[in-house]
Amino acid sequence: MSDSKTILLVEDERQMREAVATALECEGFAVCEAASASQAAVEAAARRPDAVILDLGLPDRDGIDFIRDYRAWSPTPILVLSARTQEKSKVDALDAGADDYLTKPFGIAELLARVRVLLRRGQAMPAAPEPKIRFGDYEINCVTRVVERAGEALHLTQIEYRLLVFLAANPGRVMTHHHLLTHIWGAQAADNHQYLRVYVGHLRQKIETSPACPRHILTEIGVGYRFEP
Amino acid sequence: MRIPAAALPSSPQPTRLRAVFLEGGLIIAWVALLLMLVLILLSRGPDMTDTPYFLPASLMLAVALTVGHTTVRLRRHAEIAERKSLLSKTLYEFSRELSGALTAADVADTTFAFLASAVGARNARLIPPAEFATPPFPVPASRIEACVEHKRLNWEPLPDGAQHALLPLAAASGTQGVLAFEAMPAVVSHPDFVEYIETVASLVAVALERSRFAELARETEVRHASEVLRSSILGALSHDLRTPLAALVSMADTAALGKASPERQKRLLEAISRQAMTICQQMMNLLDMAKLSSGSVELNRAWQPVDEVVGVVLTQIRGQWRDREISVDLPRNLPPVCIDAVLIERVLWNLLENAIKYAPEDAPIELAVRQLGDRLEISVSDSGPGLPDGDAGRLFNLFQRGRQESDVTGVGLGLAISRSIVEAHEGEIGASDRLGGGACFRFTLPIGNPPDVLALG
Repeated sequence: MSDSKTILLVEDERQMREAVATALECEGFAVCEAASASQAAVEAAARRPDAVILDLGLPDRDGIDFIRDYRAWSPTPILVLSARTQEKSKVDALDAGADDYLTKPFGIAELLARVRVLLRRGQAMPAAPEPKIRFGDYEINCVTRVVERAGEALHLTQIEYRLLVFLAANPGRVMTHHHLLTHIWGAQAADNHQYLRVYVGHLRQKIETSPACPRHILTEIGVGYRFEP
Repeated sequence: MRIPAAALPSSPQPTRLRAVFLEGGLIIAWVALLLMLVLILLSRGPDMTDTPYFLPASLMLAVALTVGHTTVRLRRHAEIAERKSLLSKTLYEFSRELSGALTAADVADTTFAFLASAVGARNARLIPPAEFATPPFPVPASRIEACVEHKRLNWEPLPDGAQHALLPLAAASGTQGVLAFEAMPAVVSHPDFVEYIETVASLVAVALERSRFAELARETEVRHASEVLRSSILGALSHDLRTPLAALVSMADTAALGKASPERQKRLLEAISRQAMTICQQMMNLLDMAKLSSGSVELNRAWQPVDEVVGVVLTQIRGQWRDREISVDLPRNLPPVCIDAVLIERVLWNLLENAIKYAPEDAPIELAVRQLGDRLEISVSDSGPGLPDGDAGRLFNLFQRGRQESDVTGVGLGLAISRSIVEAHEGEIGASDRLGGGACFRFTLPIGNPPDVLALG
């Protein structure tokens, strides 16, 4: 299985690591394990994994520091595992460059699904980007800045358009409030979460069939938004 | 400084004047009587014709004098009685005010105000027994000690001419403290002052003693209540957490035997996972409740549309209970609310989970949001068996289960957590039976004044 994907699993609790590693191996992934941040850094450099699963509570270093260091040289997708008491560090981890998170305890099926999404994204990235994003009935033409639903043009304001393109370009990834605000409005708006909520609300009214039960722009309470194609 | 109008038999001047006047009159009368007797003796002529006139006159004067004396004495008594009654009245009013003071601090405040108005006391303070060894400046500990030991009012002149008083507050169960204040010499030297101020001291001492006992009683009550709570927690934990754990162990052991058919084996393992998840959720509830009730939860409030929270919870609920039908009535253009979304999400989840758990599987569940004046009401209704008999408010108490010993899992924390969260948001939560059968749980959130964000463009 030389073409199997390698996953770096960083988790200090042995039983948990064993369970997750077994599940990943059963799914045909090659798994390398690390019990600390320093060991993880060594493994990451040596094995060049296709995705990283990182527990935030590590004995030697803060998981968030690891993410920052790792992001300095690698765009490999990171899935963060956090305990429920670590609400804040979860957001920090995503801000630092993690792609997704799962709160313990989680179902293994959920974990495997998230890993597959991350790997697909990692794969799609290097391919020559097409100036068109498609999801559901929608097509966004990034050159003409036109959004069409089933061939019919949709009227979006400047900010709504930028928000939609930014979200749609990162499918499956959790985008924190902070990240979205600084990207769309600039650094000075980083704390004004209500702007974001208002515009996401407008965008949902325009693209979701049922804005109360959105299909595409999903809310991650207390964290941010996730775009599902 | 103001010398009391009401209490200390205020201005002695008019009384004294009156007394001087009366006594002066009596002295003049005595002199007149003497003069008359002398005249009687001197004028005794050989014929003695004048005598009968002088004698009755002298007698009448003597009678008038006696009556005059009695009047003066009566008048004095009346004045003293009047003064005493005035004093008693102020004392009575003071004791009535004290009876309304519940805590030691209230007693102290009432006393200070009274002393200021009654005897013009300033810088009054109450030194509790705990501070006797290290009294506040400038009172030396030795003075306090002497004052407490002799149970007597203790004076010391101050540089500005005022007197500094230490008044021991002795009650049946011991000295309750020492009252320190400053007063003017004119007030202090009044003949009734010591008696008066010592009566005040005994009133204050009794009030302090009573407040201390009241506090003790309150503490005992709280201890008792937490004892009851603790035992109900233990009861709930031992039943509601141990039972699913026991099942978990049996299932795991059965799976480990490896003798069940692969199909059975798989079902067992899935059940173990589900069971563990349930226990985990109950643990989280316990932790949340502990955090909420210890008051260490800080609301992370932000303005947001309610639809967003509703949407997230519905997605979660539909993930866990795929087949349950939940109808949603969510009007468009609801105003945003300033909430901690993570916590309100918990409330909504708890209410929906309750409805799903307690209502029969085919009973539809309705979630509705509407605006009621300056609040938003969110309600979850089912058409199940309705609320248990009795006080609906009790359902929101800690460890209160809708049905004791039922097959519905849980520890009775969901509604208590929800209540804490809603109340932290200045909202209200309640439950009632529905007209057509079933239960309805609803909570409100204040709308407030959302900032005008659209101006940003």
